[in-house]
Formats: sequence, structure tokens, C-alpha cells
Amino acid sequence: MSASASSDPIEPRALIEGAHSDRTINDSLLDHVWKGAGKGWWACFTVAVSMMGLLGIALGYTVIKGIGVWGNNIPVGWAWDIINFVWWIGIGHAGTLISAILLLFQQKWRTSINRFAEAMTLFAVMCALLFPLFHTGRPWFAAYWLLPYPSIQGIWPQFKSPLVWDVFAVSTYFTISLLFWYLGLIPDLAAMRDSSRSKLRRVVCGIFAMGWRGSGRHWAEYKWAYLLLAGLSTPLVLSVHSVVSFDFATSVLPGWHTTIFPPYFVAGAIFSGFAMVLSWMIPARQFLGLKHVITIRHIENMTKVMMATGMMVTFGYVMEHFIAWYSGNIYEYSMFFKVRQRGPFAPVYWLMIACNCVFPQVFWFKKARTHLGLIWFIALLVNVGMWCERFNIIITSLHRDFIPASWGSYSPTWVDICLFTGTIGFFSTAMLLFLKFVPAVAVTEVKELRHELAHEAHEAAGGAH
Amino acid sequence: MSESSFVPRRFVVAEFKTTDGLLEGTRKMREKGHNSVDTHTPYPVHGLEEALGIKRVKIPTLVLLAGITGVCLAYGMMYFMNKVDFPINVANRPPHSAPAFIPITFELMVLLGGTTAFFGLMALLKLPQPYHPVFEWDSFGRASVDGYFLSVEVGAGEDPVDVANDARIVGASEVQVVEEPER
Repeated sequence: MSASASSDPIEPRALIEGAHSDRTINDSLLDHVWKGAGKGWWACFTVAVSMMGLLGIALGYTVIKGIGVWGNNIPVGWAWDIINFVWWIGIGHAGTLISAILLLFQQKWRTSINRFAEAMTLFAVMCALLFPLFHTGRPWFAAYWLLPYPSIQGIWPQFKSPLVWDVFAVSTYFTISLLFWYLGLIPDLAAMRDSSRSKLRRVVCGIFAMGWRGSGRHWAEYKWAYLLLAGLSTPLVLSVHSVVSFDFATSVLPGWHTTIFPPYFVAGAIFSGFAMVLSWMIPARQFLGLKHVITIRHIENMTKVMMATGMMVTFGYVMEHFIAWYSGNIYEYSMFFKVRQRGPFAPVYWLMIACNCVFPQVFWFKKARTHLGLIWFIALLVNVGMWCERFNIIITSLHRDFIPASWGSYSPTWVDICLFTGTIGFFSTAMLLFLKFVPAVAVTEVKELRHELAHEAHEAAGGAH
Repeated sequence: MSESSFVPRRFVVAEFKTTDGLLEGTRKMREKGHNSVDTHTPYPVHGLEEALGIKRVKIPTLVLLAGITGVCLAYGMMYFMNKVDFPINVANRPPHSAPAFIPITFELMVLLGGTTAFFGLMALLKLPQPYHPVFEWDSFGRASVDGYFLSVEVGAGEDPVDVANDARIVGASEVQVVEEPER
């Protein structure tokens, strides 16, 4: 019988399909790294690098001319830069949820997708970090303005500002995500070192594996370090998007001044992150030969998480509207019921409602949860919807505040558009390189899972220990 | 004969067919008095700590201390900067405000705790360590792929053949004596 059959009565489908040994798992999961790049990879890579070129142009132009080349201006002082920052940071959150929170909840299905999602976290946070860095105008000075260091002026950051909290939250998030990802990768790098056929690869993987020899004494400490990093990442991921939401929630602007922001931002972050994971994973499992470890059961679980977080986001919208009406505050009421629904940016609002609240509801049906093409399409729509949500929060709230005399409008410039397209290019380039050079699935953890499942199946069959 | 004082480290490396065999073998090797025994497996095998006699791991204590340091450092830093050294009065809000100091206090706890979990681990495990005598045996490469290995450091007065025999007695399928070459 297959050693990987699940003994879970509620979920009878296997997490690893087919009969496998450690050796076949090792070879099948590393295969895509050893193989040369195919035509499809090169085609995608060319498109991604070209899009990244736009990023270079837009950043160069911004640095030379100053941030006046962006479309934001009073009253819309924050625009695409912050939208993109929040959007990218949110996308990163799925990686940490999968790798840390599902680990603490002992969800076995996380094992085949965590490495992939963690890599996505890293690249998404890099994209996000670009925006606050470059909005300072002179990014080479940014460290002096953002970090507390003893300067000759004797002045310090104002720690009561959520923008300063953001600096600490996002930089901590990036550092911890990177360390967590690398720590999980070390045993896999050792496996790559020991199963590569070319000398160059053995040396390169050997350097990154740092001489890991699978020592039992090392594993004992390693398991704890991994668990502790997961334990620290779990509240961290909740704090990061909460802090991002404080940037808005601590102000008095109608549409921003809302206590539900932190939980609803976190739910939205996970929602958009899962959408991004799905939109990459569905093609990747196909082309990299990972269907036996990233099964339809994994995909189905992810659609369920996406639907659940989507409904949390919907609840957030409903509460915002309810409080706007119930508070009796005319500015709040007018923002939610007039400006957003019927104002100049109303199409963005309705697109957001359709993409985030309506379309994910198809996942109530098992047919939809197992139809890869449909899932991929809905995932893309959710990414669009979540981008619209941030547009709606930031720009729609800013362009109509208290006094009609100070109302204005907003349109992005070509630089804004190139910056956004460029970060998508950077993200895609980084993901494609990751999929080419690093095993996309945590090989060691899948082997451990196979061992556990085999053990469970053995016990369920009444076998002696 | 070279006159250097190089004393090669010698190890007996033994392969086992199953994880249960490895656990059993490890336990028996320790009973035979080989205290430097270590195992090498592609993934953490359940029960290894007991078999190796590891009572307590150090990482959690280190991370706890680092986390507490982070909390104190962050709060102290903000208190000093915003209350003592350069109070900024914005709309008459108090210079020292505990709720506003919580986020950064939390973040620095996570930052110090997390970096200690990683770099503390590297220090405890003495990694990076590109060379170790166990790598001398070609088959040892399987320890990261699909093999279960055990290694014992051979002490100065010990005969590697005796240790190798012990390894065979406790159930190893293949045994090899490795020695660090002089460079």
C-alpha cells in the first residue's frame, strides 16, 4: 500500500500522492533545479526582466527629478506609493501564515507549500520596501531619517508616530522572514550538495549549506530554533499589518479613523497573499513536476483559507459602513455612502466589492475548489480587488475630506505606472530565479512528513511499533 | 615523518537500514560507553534526543534572554530619547506614553529573539564548518538524502577496530573508519 495514505477520516486524500521513498522524493523535488531552463522559463524570464527595466527607469527618473514626478499632490498627498507598499506587504503575509502559523497549528498540508510561500514573502517585502525608501527622495540618506542614531543635532525620532513603528515593524519582518527561510533551507542545501552531479553545484550548495551533516545533536537544537522562530513570526505577522493600518487609523480622516482597521488589514493581507500564492503555484506545480506533493487537496485547502479571509474582509467592510451610519457623523456617512459608492472613483469601489466579496463565494462549491483554471482566475481577481481596496482607502478618502473647498482629484503619472509594473517585474524575476536555483518545496520536511505518515499508516493497520 | 604536532581526528561511521535500528544502535552504543556518539539523518527522527541522551537544549534560554533584552533596550531607548534627552511636545501629549511605545518594544523583542534563534544556533552548532572528518566516507553523502548514520569519535587510547566491532554488534549494516588527512 502507499505509505503516504492519510489516516485522517475527515480528509481521506493523500498529502503525498503515489508510493515514495526518501530517495524518490529527494530526486523528484530537486529535479527542477538540476534541469536546464526550458523555453517557457526563458520566455517568462524575458518578460519579467523587461518589466523590471521599467522599474529601473522609473526609479532613476524619480531620483534625478525628485518625487514631484509622481502623481500625488495635495489633497491626495499619499497615493500609489503607499497603495503599492501596503499591497506588497500584504501579499507577503501569506508566506508567514503558511510557514509559521500553520506550523504551530500542526497543519501537515503546509509542508509542501511553505518554502514557496516564504520566498514569495521575501520578494514581496523587498518590493514593498522600495516605496517608503524612494519616497524620501534621497534614499541614500533614508537611514539617517528613519533610524535612531546619535546625530550632532541631538534630535531623535518621534516614537509616538505610527510611521516610525512601521520602520521597525517592516525591517524586523524582513529580517526574521529571511532568517526563517534560510534556516529551513539549510538541510535542503545539504541534500542538494550531496546529490548534485556537477562539482560547481556541489561547491556552491556546500558553501550555503555551511557544513550541515544532519547531526542528531544539531537537530535537537535546530528543531527548537525553528519552532521559536515560528512562534516569534506568528505575532510578528499580525503586528506588521496592524502597524501598517495604524498609519491610517490613528488619523482623523473620514474613511481612515476606524478601530476595525488592524484585524481587517491582517485578514486582507492573508487574503491577498493566498491569492498570490495560488496564482504562482498553480502554474509552478504543473511545470516543475510537483503535482505529487502539491496535490489538489493543498489547492483546495488554500481556496478555503482564501474564502474565509475574504469573508473576514467583507465583514470589515460591513462594519465600516455600519459604524459610519451608526455614529451619526456626517463626514463618515458621506465618505462611505456617497463618495465611495457614487463619487468619481466609484468604479474602483464596486470592483473591490465584486472581486473581494462576491467572486470568492464560488468556493462554496467543491467543483470550483478543484477547477484549477477557475481558481487561478479568481486568485488574479482577488489580487486586483485587494489593490482596489487600498486605492479606495487611500485615494478616495483623501480626495474628499471635510471642506469642499479643499477637495481635489488624483491621477497617476507614467512614473507611478512604471514603478508599479516594475515591482511586478522585479517580483516575477526573483520568483523565476528562485524556482530555477532553489528547491521550491521543502525537501527535508516532505521526507519527514512521509516518514510520519508511513508511521501513522503502520499504526492504523495494527502493526507493532 | 613530519614533525608537526598534527593529531588526526578519527571517527567510526556506521550506516543503519532503518530509523528504529539507528535509535536502538545509538542507545546500545551509549550503553557500551561511547559517549561521543552522534547520529546523522536527513530529517529529525522522532526519539533521537532520548537515544542520544540529550536532556536539555540551550536555544530556548538564549532566545528568552535575547527577547527580554530587546524589550528593555527598546523601551529604554524610547524613554531616553523622547522623555529624557529631547522631549518633543506635540499638542501637549505626554513625552512618555506607554501605549505608543508598545509596538516598537514588541518589534525589537522579536528582532533580537529571532536573530538570536538563528545566530545563536549557528554559534552553538559551530556552523559554518565546511570540513568534518565524517565527510571522508563517500557513502556519507546519503546522510542528507536517505541514509541513517551513526558516528563515534575514537579517543586517543582507543582502537578504531574495537569501536567498529561494537557498531557492527549493535546492528550497523556498514561500518567505516575515517581519519582526517593532514593538510
